[in-house]
Amino acid sequence: MSYQNKKIADTAEVLKARLAKLDDKASILRSTELRALYAEIPSLPADERGAFGKEINALKAELEKLVLADQDEQTKLPAIDVTAPVDVNVSADKQPRLLASSEGSVHPLMREIETISDIFYRMGFRVEASRQIDDEYHMFDTLNFPKDHPARDDYDTFVTTEGFIAPAHTSTMQNRMLKKYKANLDSGQPIAVLVPDRVFRNEDLDARHEHTFYQYEGIYVGKQIHAGHLLATLKTFLSEYYQQELDVKTQPFYFPFTEPSFEFAMSCPFCQKKGCGVCSYSGWIELLGCGMIHPNVLKMAGIDPAIYTGFAWGGGIDRLVMMKYNIEDVRHFESGKLEFLRQFK
Amino acid sequence: MKLSLNWVKEFTDVNVPVDELVQKIGAQLGEVESVTDLGEKYKGIVIAKVVECVKHANADKLHVCMIDDGGITKHVKRDSKGLVQVVCGAPNVREGLLVAWLPPGTTVPSTVEKDPFVLESREIRGEVSNGMLASASELGLSDDHSGILEITTDNKPGESFAAAVGLDDHIIDIENKMFTHRPDLFGELGLAREVAGILHKPFESPAWYRKKPATPTPMGKRLPLKVKNELPKLVPRFMAVVLEDVVVQPSPAWLQSYLMRVGVRPINNVVDITNYMMMLTAQPLHAYDYDKVRAQDGSSSTATLVARHPQKGEQIKLLSGKTVLPRPDAIMIATADKLVGIGGVMGGADTEVDEQTENIILECATFDMYSIRRTSMEHGLFSDAVTRFNKGQSPLQNDVVIAKAAEMIVDTCGPSVEFASGYTDLSSYKETAINNKGISISADFINERLGTSLTLKEIANFLQNVEFKILSVPADKKRLHVQAPFWRTDIEIPEDIVEEVGRLYGYDHLPLVLPERTIQPVERNDLLDFQNKLRDILSDAGANEVLGYTFVHGNLFDKVGQDPKNAYQLSNALSPDLQYYRQSLVPSLLERVHPNLKSDRVRGEDNEFALFEINPVHGKDLTDEHGLPIEDKRLGFVFAADDKTSSRKYMGGAYFMARLYAEQLFEEIGITPIFHSAKDHNPKQPISKAAIAPFDKERSAIIKTVDGTFLGEIGEYTAQVRRNLKLPQFTAGFELDVDALYRSAARTSLYTPIPRFPKVVQDVTLRINTETPYGELKQLLDAKLLELQSSQAFIMLGMPRIYQPEDDVHHKHITLRLWVSDYDKTLKAEAVNALLDSLAESAADSFGAERV
Repeated sequence: MSYQNKKIADTAEVLKARLAKLDDKASILRSTELRALYAEIPSLPADERGAFGKEINALKAELEKLVLADQDEQTKLPAIDVTAPVDVNVSADKQPRLLASSEGSVHPLMREIETISDIFYRMGFRVEASRQIDDEYHMFDTLNFPKDHPARDDYDTFVTTEGFIAPAHTSTMQNRMLKKYKANLDSGQPIAVLVPDRVFRNEDLDARHEHTFYQYEGIYVGKQIHAGHLLATLKTFLSEYYQQELDVKTQPFYFPFTEPSFEFAMSCPFCQKKGCGVCSYSGWIELLGCGMIHPNVLKMAGIDPAIYTGFAWGGGIDRLVMMKYNIEDVRHFESGKLEFLRQFK
Repeated sequence: MKLSLNWVKEFTDVNVPVDELVQKIGAQLGEVESVTDLGEKYKGIVIAKVVECVKHANADKLHVCMIDDGGITKHVKRDSKGLVQVVCGAPNVREGLLVAWLPPGTTVPSTVEKDPFVLESREIRGEVSNGMLASASELGLSDDHSGILEITTDNKPGESFAAAVGLDDHIIDIENKMFTHRPDLFGELGLAREVAGILHKPFESPAWYRKKPATPTPMGKRLPLKVKNELPKLVPRFMAVVLEDVVVQPSPAWLQSYLMRVGVRPINNVVDITNYMMMLTAQPLHAYDYDKVRAQDGSSSTATLVARHPQKGEQIKLLSGKTVLPRPDAIMIATADKLVGIGGVMGGADTEVDEQTENIILECATFDMYSIRRTSMEHGLFSDAVTRFNKGQSPLQNDVVIAKAAEMIVDTCGPSVEFASGYTDLSSYKETAINNKGISISADFINERLGTSLTLKEIANFLQNVEFKILSVPADKKRLHVQAPFWRTDIEIPEDIVEEVGRLYGYDHLPLVLPERTIQPVERNDLLDFQNKLRDILSDAGANEVLGYTFVHGNLFDKVGQDPKNAYQLSNALSPDLQYYRQSLVPSLLERVHPNLKSDRVRGEDNEFALFEINPVHGKDLTDEHGLPIEDKRLGFVFAADDKTSSRKYMGGAYFMARLYAEQLFEEIGITPIFHSAKDHNPKQPISKAAIAPFDKERSAIIKTVDGTFLGEIGEYTAQVRRNLKLPQFTAGFELDVDALYRSAARTSLYTPIPRFPKVVQDVTLRINTETPYGELKQLLDAKLLELQSSQAFIMLGMPRIYQPEDDVHHKHITLRLWVSDYDKTLKAEAVNALLDSLAESAADSFGAERV
């Protein structure tokens, strides 16, 4: 580092030379020379103050860096033989040991994905992973979102400087899944896939909103598949998940990639419709969006919508887990707090 | 979108209770966010006539009024004529006026939500006032508190105020999202039609909406207006008309009431009428001050409106007060010289209609929904017009809407309003684009998709109820040829008709049956199962699974020495904390170490833990054949113990703790790992550089399989990383490639037969050069043992102990324990000793090791 101002350059040299010999390196930052430089600022002509001040700060930053580098050098540990499973001179009672199994935990969201996947496996669904970065083609274009359509506004997506997207829904996998399992249809089998994975929404965090959360996407395509199949499939899954017979109902909704589209609600499994805190005393819990796959979406995957029809849904996993354990704040999930994590086995 | 039940009832009978209607709307139209009973708010407020009005003796600005409420209000003091005394401070109070009277006991409507103010009889400067006479502001109609509200309609004293002005209403607020594709439902007329549809009743739009309007005969001065459309593609229709001699003033109570009920703030009669028509038909209109428009062009005798793009550098000051430099492709409305509005988004401040306005231009145009949306998003401009235009309004209703609006202005805005021009109508839309050719659809098509068994007749009825036209029914009686009405710009394909029929019929009629399936077993996803196995192994070993954010702060890269250039960066991050895609998992785990060590709510005596995460990482250098970023799935692991715990429990480096976990994992998944020193690991690829960056290469290893497949990094972290992230010295971890683990993992366990003869346990200690890596010695001994194993012996090598004498830093002593047994016989000590001798010998040959 070279300094334009002669005085600062000289001081820099003096201080650096002294630093090399000092035991308490940090004391250099409190040296009288450095303080003297700062004290000089007010006496300088106004137009020189800025540049002078900047250089002193640069010098101080340089010294701080040297002090830290030295500190790192001091705290650096000696090399070890990493090809050995144990360190040298370690008595048997001081060897590393695995922590007690009881301390361990699997993240509740991952555990729930396993549970949900298991039910859908039994119902005949394949399970696939989604992506954490994708392109507009899969996130919107293949899902019948026209360019600049206001429907895109409902998905507050994160976008990279290159234009890649952090998917706002697991439907970003729909076109890939339809193509991947298209051959099923030729052999008279349906396409039945579940995609449980992470999605993102560009929204501020609070106890009920996360920008990072998990969804489970279901896709089912076959011959003569109708909206009644969709509702029955979801009802069957939920009744199995909650181990009780549930009622379901729908509200019409709009998604570009399904027609018709629904908002789907189940009767509250926690109070059997009597009304409780979980369902806000309504007896019903709105759970997910779903609908009959739009013919354009099927066409984009090379499936003839005149022969095949199908349904899809996308629901939140975080909410299922929150309701299950009475978790008060969605932010706990990605907090990495042990006091949260260790409560789940 | 707010549905006003009274307004809707002007167009269709609603003969079900409100609760039932709300439920049906929820099930067949969209989510109801709230239902408000406005009548509650106006309970007790009556229309009264000011019979006498005299100045208050003790106050300049007050009047003492005797009012007639038809004698209907109870518990109030009346004079001999049955009149009630009220003190009023409004400048416009006078004899003969019809007013809204708030008797004692009623609540001022504008205060209901916040801090309810209940009126009483009290003395004001010596005169008793029984309640009050209310302004539009106090009634919650508008912001106007310049005087009391004057009721100009033909009402009688004693009538309920709410009923007289339509405020005895229920407002049903329906989620907007539901109507993203329904331009017609942003108007009360469309909502009324839909309500009729879901109640299975036929609906007919009012005559003025269905029939082409008559051409007006300009009666007045004939104010010239020139209109030019330079953007026929983006502005498919532009209509305008000039009206003269308007008197701009606050709207009558009935009009304010309409707007207020659906959430629009009344401004003045002209603007209110444009808003009224918009709230009714979903077609936005705009009113300009004619003379201000003309004045923009200096001494021009003609007012000019042009639809065009902005010129470079042109700015506009909007009605909202904001000045914007519009995007080059925005649709602008200009005079010959100057911009006066952003078409379909917001009008300009310079040509605003105000109390001085005498002549107006009424504009009723259609703008391209995509262009409107882009402009709105880019400039952050949101208005009721944007909400409607960006859903795709039909250009076919402009003529009826402008005619109705002009008629209302003539009727409402002054005694001598006249047309000062005919209608200008610049149309460039194509009739064919508005879906007038119809859709052919069969009952089977609909029933197959809904699971229903509707007849063709039922289907036709549902559709005709909401004014779809049945163009023809082919002879086989299996199909319908239907045409959507012009306002349904969303109906394009047969599936749209399916939705329409299903919804109008009611989805609660759908049969709940499961799809049929064969007993063919479903293939499991082995990779996902494998990841679950990794989770179980580590959690069984006491580790805690963490889920970290996909995005990290740029300064985390600095802290661990990673280069941000290779990381995908978000252009619209919520905060700097979430700006880059992660390049590796370990840094996020390290970030969690300090806060967890500090938190004392879970730990007992030991303050130590192991965290792990399975998630993909991303780097710009990793893309697939389509140019998409590769999801590089990793398993990250970190063990940390605070100084107190580690010094009490452990000797040696934390590396060996991480290694213990790694070996446990490898053992469980059937991989034999080889740990190579990381000293010479200098990868070229940025994503690999990022992975090794936080590790202290002198205390870290690269893990590979026996056949050289790279599995990951393991070790301790540099002093800089420990300082930056406040890590205790006893911190170590690893980052493994999940796909490589999956591919290398053994699918089945290996079995070795169990020897029947007793084992002999023997230790051997070798003294070798300190510099010789244990790994090399081990490899040699393993090879040797493998050779010997073939001679029917079963040999197991235990964990070594390594001793470094203080007085000889050049040598270390490695003690190995062997378990030996033979499949055929009981082993003799000599045989075991011979085995050890041969091991020691080969160690001596290769490394100059001495047996101690």
